[in-house]
Amino acid sequence: MITTVVELDQWTDVFQTSAGAIYQSDAERCWYVDFAGKVAKFDYRCLLKLRKAVYHIDIEQALLNTTKDPDVEIIFICACDHCYVLSLLQIIALKELLEGTFVMLELNHIIHDRLYNLPL
Amino acid sequence: MKDLLRIKSLISSEIETLLNQQVKKEAYSSSVYLSMASWCNRNGYDFSSEYFFKQAEEERHHQLKFYKYILDMGGNAVSPEVTGIKQEYNSFREVFEEALDQEISVTNSIKNIYARCMKDQDFVTMEFLNWFLKEQREEEYKARRALELFEVIGEEGTGRWQIDKHVGQIKYDSEA
Repeated sequence: MITTVVELDQWTDVFQTSAGAIYQSDAERCWYVDFAGKVAKFDYRCLLKLRKAVYHIDIEQALLNTTKDPDVEIIFICACDHCYVLSLLQIIALKELLEGTFVMLELNHIIHDRLYNLPL
Repeated sequence: MKDLLRIKSLISSEIETLLNQQVKKEAYSSSVYLSMASWCNRNGYDFSSEYFFKQAEEERHHQLKFYKYILDMGGNAVSPEVTGIKQEYNSFREVFEEALDQEISVTNSIKNIYARCMKDQDFVTMEFLNWFLKEQREEEYKARRALELFEVIGEEGTGRWQIDKHVGQIKYDSEA
């Protein structure tokens, strides 16, 4: 428990919703995704792959699907240690979390450009 | 908070997607030209066949240029899937009409990426695209000139044989 607190101290909160949160670790140059009961580490490539995989799921199609299959999606990302097995509601929540995160990262990029990378 | 996205890649993910679409477009063009080369060869238009083989090679070269640029900038270059290549043509003229259509579509697509780069102030990619814009001048000129031959020579009699012979000699060496 104590180690978690120490780790969180070095992480920057990128975006949070009631369903989860994404933190950035500058030291490790990666992101920690706190979602569906676990905290998973994602590097640049894997985070992009996660975004692609989640955005790729056709939520509308899944909602309209009347077959008896369970509404569960398995998000498996190649060359990444983590795998998610999520219900439809969780997918919507994860998508919201990722959308917010990338907006914040984009905003951070703009701030960096405007404040720190100014030509002298 | 560090700007990790920028540290990893010079181009934005939107530009990367557009460039990957262009990779696919160039690969498609290359395959279309290869199919045209085959059709011309089968129908006895050997010079035109040779012309299209060269064009296919050029499009492949363009594809690789885009591909390597994406990788060099820290992006993810995606090897494209190319399907739906037309194998049969109704006439000799139709082949060249479609070749011009193909080039016009490539020019438009590059203009579209350029416009997006301008919006994002991605001057690095704009500079990279300048080479392609100049290349398109040549490509469109050659395709248009080939079609022009159908008008000035005419298809009657040995016309198509003459056209085929002249297609192989089309060159663009404008200094403009």
